[in-house]
Amino acid sequence: MFSQSSYLKRTIPLFIQTAGAHRKPRWLPVAKSKVYRIPKRPTTSEEERVELLRLHNNYKTQMRAIRRFYHEDMIKEKSTKDSASSEMSQQLEADEWARCFELNEKWNAEISAAREERRKLEIAKLEEYTLARMEAKDKELQIKIKKASEKIREQKELSKTFITPENLDEAIDLAIANPTDYNYAIDMKGMKFEGRDTIISYPKEDKNVAAN
Amino acid sequence: MSLPPASGTGRYFAKAAKSIRLIRQGCTNRPFFHISVTHRRRLNSQPVIEQLGSYDPMPNINNEKLVALNLERLKYWLGKGAHVSTPVSELLGLSGFFPIHPRTYMTAWRNRQQERENLAKQEAENAKEQTAAT
Repeated sequence: MFSQSSYLKRTIPLFIQTAGAHRKPRWLPVAKSKVYRIPKRPTTSEEERVELLRLHNNYKTQMRAIRRFYHEDMIKEKSTKDSASSEMSQQLEADEWARCFELNEKWNAEISAAREERRKLEIAKLEEYTLARMEAKDKELQIKIKKASEKIREQKELSKTFITPENLDEAIDLAIANPTDYNYAIDMKGMKFEGRDTIISYPKEDKNVAAN
Repeated sequence: MSLPPASGTGRYFAKAAKSIRLIRQGCTNRPFFHISVTHRRRLNSQPVIEQLGSYDPMPNINNEKLVALNLERLKYWLGKGAHVSTPVSELLGLSGFFPIHPRTYMTAWRNRQQERENLAKQEAENAKEQTAAT
């Protein structure tokens, strides 16, 4: 009937998945095991049937009335809209606009007042903060100056002992008169012998101890 | 001032019959329904004209099934002559927008009957046990 290639060339898929995809396709026959199964018919008592009929009749009547009401309502609304689109509605719209504008102005004024107040507070806060910072900086600077002046005073005191061209000769004489020698030697025991030309001599007792 | 429509993307034909129905939107084991207007001959999987509300059939922590309805638009569509499916009219009846649907009464009396039968069965069983004990 159909060749395989014709199936493959189809632009539309053979089976389209729909919401009812979980159902058996309509053209499939009844399953073999279910052929003689007769489903049980739902039964309603006569009493219930009459009651339901009555309820449904009532419901339908009421619903018809409701539907008609809404339909008439819609028609009425439509007609009023069409007729009033000229002057009445324009006037109404203008009034609405004016009302909205006024309200908006009022809100804007309120908000601007609140903003002003807030800005003032913010500026005051900022000023306080800046002043505090400046004060702290000043204090720091003062402390620094104090330290520096102290140091200068110390150096001035020290400067009395400095060697200057005036007292250079004196200083040289003094240095020659008191030579200092920083050389020293250390023996195995850790004894320190200062001076370059000192003769090493141990005390006598130490010698004995060393001999023993 | 009328609210703007929660419009769907479905195509609209003025003269075609409309229906207000529940459209399942949840996932597996979690039903959730939109109350929507569509053409009567359109499948539920196809895009709708407008959504009018929602219905959550699973009770929440306060044991409530929540329904939301846009009554203004519902009135508009009823005025246009849209049909209303049975489950939706049941919901509208319970919400007080329509008269109570007969099906609501029917399920109620059937449930009551079932409960009565169950109680009778239990009592009979209890009586049997007592006689067996004595």
